[in-house]
Amino acid sequence: MPTPSSSASTDQPFVTIQGVSFAYPTLTGALGRQILTGVDLQVKRGQLVALMGGSGSGKTTILRLLGGQVKPQAGSVMVDGQNVHALTHRELFALRSRMGMLFQFGALFTDMSVFENVAFPLREHTDLPESAIRDLVLMKLHAVGLRGAQALMPSEVSGGMARRVALARAIALDPQLIMYDEPFAGLDPISLGQTANLIRTLGASLGAASIIVTHDVEESLQIVDYIYFLAEGKIVAKGTPDEIRASEMPYVKQFISGAPDGPVRFQYPAPDYAVDLGLSK
Amino acid sequence: MRRFIEGIGHGLIDSIAKMGYGARLFWLLLRYSGTSFTRLRLTITQIHFIGNYSLIIIVVSGLFVGFVLGLQGYNTLQRYGSEQALGLLVAIGLVRELGPVVTALLFAGRAGTSITAEIGLMKAGEQLAAMEMMAVSPIARVLAPRFWAGVISMPLLAAMFSAVGVFGGYIVGVVLIGVDDGAFWSQMQNGVDWMEDVGNGVIKSIVFGIAVTFIAVFEGYDSQPTPEGVARATTRTVVSSSLVVLGLDFMLTALMFSRG
Repeated sequence: MPTPSSSASTDQPFVTIQGVSFAYPTLTGALGRQILTGVDLQVKRGQLVALMGGSGSGKTTILRLLGGQVKPQAGSVMVDGQNVHALTHRELFALRSRMGMLFQFGALFTDMSVFENVAFPLREHTDLPESAIRDLVLMKLHAVGLRGAQALMPSEVSGGMARRVALARAIALDPQLIMYDEPFAGLDPISLGQTANLIRTLGASLGAASIIVTHDVEESLQIVDYIYFLAEGKIVAKGTPDEIRASEMPYVKQFISGAPDGPVRFQYPAPDYAVDLGLSK
Repeated sequence: MRRFIEGIGHGLIDSIAKMGYGARLFWLLLRYSGTSFTRLRLTITQIHFIGNYSLIIIVVSGLFVGFVLGLQGYNTLQRYGSEQALGLLVAIGLVRELGPVVTALLFAGRAGTSITAEIGLMKAGEQLAAMEMMAVSPIARVLAPRFWAGVISMPLLAAMFSAVGVFGGYIVGVVLIGVDDGAFWSQMQNGVDWMEDVGNGVIKSIVFGIAVTFIAVFEGYDSQPTPEGVARATTRTVVSSSLVVLGLDFMLTALMFSRG
């Protein structure tokens, strides 16, 4: 099982999110439900940070904010000293080319082979000759253990393999920030262990700041350096894995123990049950 | 009653917002079209997919439309002793109207739906978001090549439809019914004006190509990323494209062929 590295992190945070509030705007410009409220977090180079919380708590939105896909109504999102939302389109794309993102189900291009998927960012952003692209792709695929699967199409690989191909694609340009959106969802124990190991080792070897969005407590606590807990769009707890394990906070305790009821209710808010059934007024 | 009025208001605001979004996407599509021509391979692949794979339905439909035109045209013309003008009638009908319009309608059903479904499913599978996160614009890399492939393919397919249609009219009129071979071709040659008829027909098919392909890419890009959302978007592509093609055809015909 992989263990958290002491990491080669520098003191200067690579990612700084400060006082961020966000609600998705509707087509007509009005704001929808509040997703994030006053979120602050930092990630240093070489550090692996987990964002944990229930579904709909705003974890993935934070990744979207970091990638500049959505804009906060308040607060700032700084990556490598640049305010993501003050950048021009060209500057944002230049910044994104230094980011890698692993999507929940891989998001591989289904009309391209495994090889072409990994080669995609290299072809789009470099003028490398074909022989160099081939070598780089094979190296990335070798790192995730799938050099032998280069000719397969995404439809021919398992969910766990697709996740690893997507990981190879995400690190193709040696990013300085790697984001993982639910990398363990739906994986069998072997694939899960392999993916967790890769996330730990690849991030450390690249010296990249890594952010992992997950609700897999068991696996994450073993590989991450720091954890932020989100509930209803707010950071309710943070700390190292040991601090989180020792936390007495009811929300964190419920999350770690997986208790069906607690601060996070089992029942979606609803009128009184008896009234709903017509048994009382 | 209040809810009814609110519903109308919401519908109106949503429609205007969607039109604005569509106009903005159209502008971005043009702005990011450079890649489609500097990396011509992207567009050629789509022309092959959109154009070549539509050939069968276009050719077969064109042939049968030509058969029907030949048959109906002969029945009408022979009442006035003008069956020699069959070639002219078939050619004018095809290059001015039926070629561009029927091709556009078939194109919407065959290629438009596949463009919408493909882009919609790419969106649902987060492939477009992944592309954006790799600092690659999906508008430049996915939408624009498909858009230009449609715009380029449409006049070529319409020309193919008209050519095969004329051949169909020839088979029925000359080979089966016995209209004079020379009269069939010479009347067509004398009566069809290169600019007035063929040129305007080509302009129509280019306009239809822009309209149908833009609707297809827009609906795919704007679709809800769910199976139901993609299904609805695909349906909207066919319905909107067909109505827009018929509406545009009326306007273009009025502009091109009305005599003041």
